[in-house]
Amino acid sequence: MERRDGQAAGVEREVSVLMALVKEGDRDAFQDITRCYQRKVFALAYAFFRDREEALDIVQETFLRLYEKAALYREGEDFQGWLFRIARNLCIDSYRRGRQRRAGYLEDVRVDALPAEAAGGADAERRSDLRALFRAVLDRLAERQRTVFVMKHCNDMPYQEIARTLGIAVGTVKSLHFKAVRNLRKQLGPHLGTTS
Amino acid sequence: MSACKIRRDEWIGFLGGELDAEREEALRVHLETCRPCRDEVARLRALSAEADALAKETQEAMDSVDWAALPARIAARLPVRTRPGLRPATGWRAALNGPRLRPVLAGLLAGIVLGGAAVFFALRRPSVRALAEPYFASGEFLDRVELEMARRQTLDYLDRSRYLILDVLDEPSGSEAAAAGPLASQEARDLMTRKKYLDPQLDKFRMAKAKDLCDQIELLVFELTQLSPEVGAAEVERIRILVRDRQILMKIRLVKKELERSEV
Repeated sequence: MERRDGQAAGVEREVSVLMALVKEGDRDAFQDITRCYQRKVFALAYAFFRDREEALDIVQETFLRLYEKAALYREGEDFQGWLFRIARNLCIDSYRRGRQRRAGYLEDVRVDALPAEAAGGADAERRSDLRALFRAVLDRLAERQRTVFVMKHCNDMPYQEIARTLGIAVGTVKSLHFKAVRNLRKQLGPHLGTTS
Repeated sequence: MSACKIRRDEWIGFLGGELDAEREEALRVHLETCRPCRDEVARLRALSAEADALAKETQEAMDSVDWAALPARIAARLPVRTRPGLRPATGWRAALNGPRLRPVLAGLLAGIVLGGAAVFFALRRPSVRALAEPYFASGEFLDRVELEMARRQTLDYLDRSRYLILDVLDEPSGSEAAAAGPLASQEARDLMTRKKYLDPQLDKFRMAKAKDLCDQIELLVFELTQLSPEVGAAEVERIRILVRDRQILMKIRLVKKELERSEV
C-alpha cells in the first residue's frame, strides 16, 4: 500500500513537470501525458457509450481540451481527477447531443418485452437479451449513478478515487453506487435468475 | 428476504469485499440458512456478472486500439500556440486575423490615419493665424475690461478721499495739526492727480453719479491743498461744515455700494 502511494506521488510529481511543459506548448510532454492516461479515459468513455469510435473521439477531445486548458491546471492539484472531469463533461455533452439518436435504440429494448427467466428459452439467447437489457437500463440511470457505477466496475476505481475525481464525499459515492445497483436490480429483477 | 434483517446494501458490500472479516463470516453463515437472501445474492451476482461483461468488453475494445500511435495522432491536431497557456484565437478573432480580411483592415487603418491627419490640420489652421497675431480679443471684451478698470479706480479714489476727509474731520477742532498737515496735503495732491486720469473714464462709461461726486470731492481736496497755518482753524472748520452739509461721506458710501454691486 505504501509502495503504491509512493508510486502515485512519483507519478503526480512527474505529471506536474509534464504539465508545466505542456503549458509552454511542449508537444512531446503532451504526448507523454496522453500515453499515460489515454486508456483510462477510453475506459470511462467506452462505459458511457459502449461504442469504440465514440470513445476514441472522446479520448481525442479530452486531450485536446487538456492542451487548451493547460494554463488552468494548478500544480499539486489531483491531475487524474482534473482530467476525468474534462472527459466526463465531454461524455455528458456528447451523450446529450446523441440522446435523440439513441432514443430509438433504447426504446427498442423493452424490459417487459424480453422473456423472463422463468419463460425458459435457449440459454445463450437469454444471456444476450439480458446483456442488451442491462445496457439499456444502465443508460436510463441518473447521470451520477451511472458515472459512479461505470467508474467502479469498468474503470476498477476505488470509492476514494471516484470521490476525488467527481469532487464529492466518499459516503455520497457509496450511496450513489448503492442506488445504481438497487435500480438495476429492480429493473432487471425478473431476468436475473435465482439459485433455486 | 423481507423476513430477515439483512439490508440489501450489505449484500452489495459483501459481494464487493468491502465488509470486515467478522461481518462477512456472519453473512456467509446467514446465507446457508436463508433462501431469500441466497436468491438476492444470486441476482446481485448476475448483475455484477453483467458489469464484469461490460468491463471485459471495454477491455476487448481497448485491445483493438493502436495506443502507440494515438498520442501522435492527437498531437497532430493540436493548434499552434502563440503564447504559452493561451488558446489560439477562435471565432470572430480568428476571422479578423485571417488573410482574407487583411487588405480590408489595412485600408481601414489607412483611412483612419488619413482622416485623423485631415481633421488635425483643419482644426489647427485657426491656431496658426492666432500665432501670427500676438494677441486677439474682441472689442466688447476690451470695453468690459476698461469698464472694470474704471470701476476699480473709482472705488479706490473714493476710498482714499474718504480716509482723507475723515482725517481732517477727526482732528480736534481748532488744533494746528488740522490746519493742513503735510501728510494731508500730500495725499490731497495725489488724489487730484488720480482724478485727472479718472475723468475720461467716468465720461466714457457715463458714470454720472460717480462723476458728480468725484467732482465735489475734487473741489474739496483742492481747498485742502490750499490750506496753510496762516489761514487758521476757521477755514478748516468751514471745510468740515461743507462736508457735513453736502453729506459727502454718506454719498461716498452710497456710490461705493453701487459700484461694488455692478462688478463686471
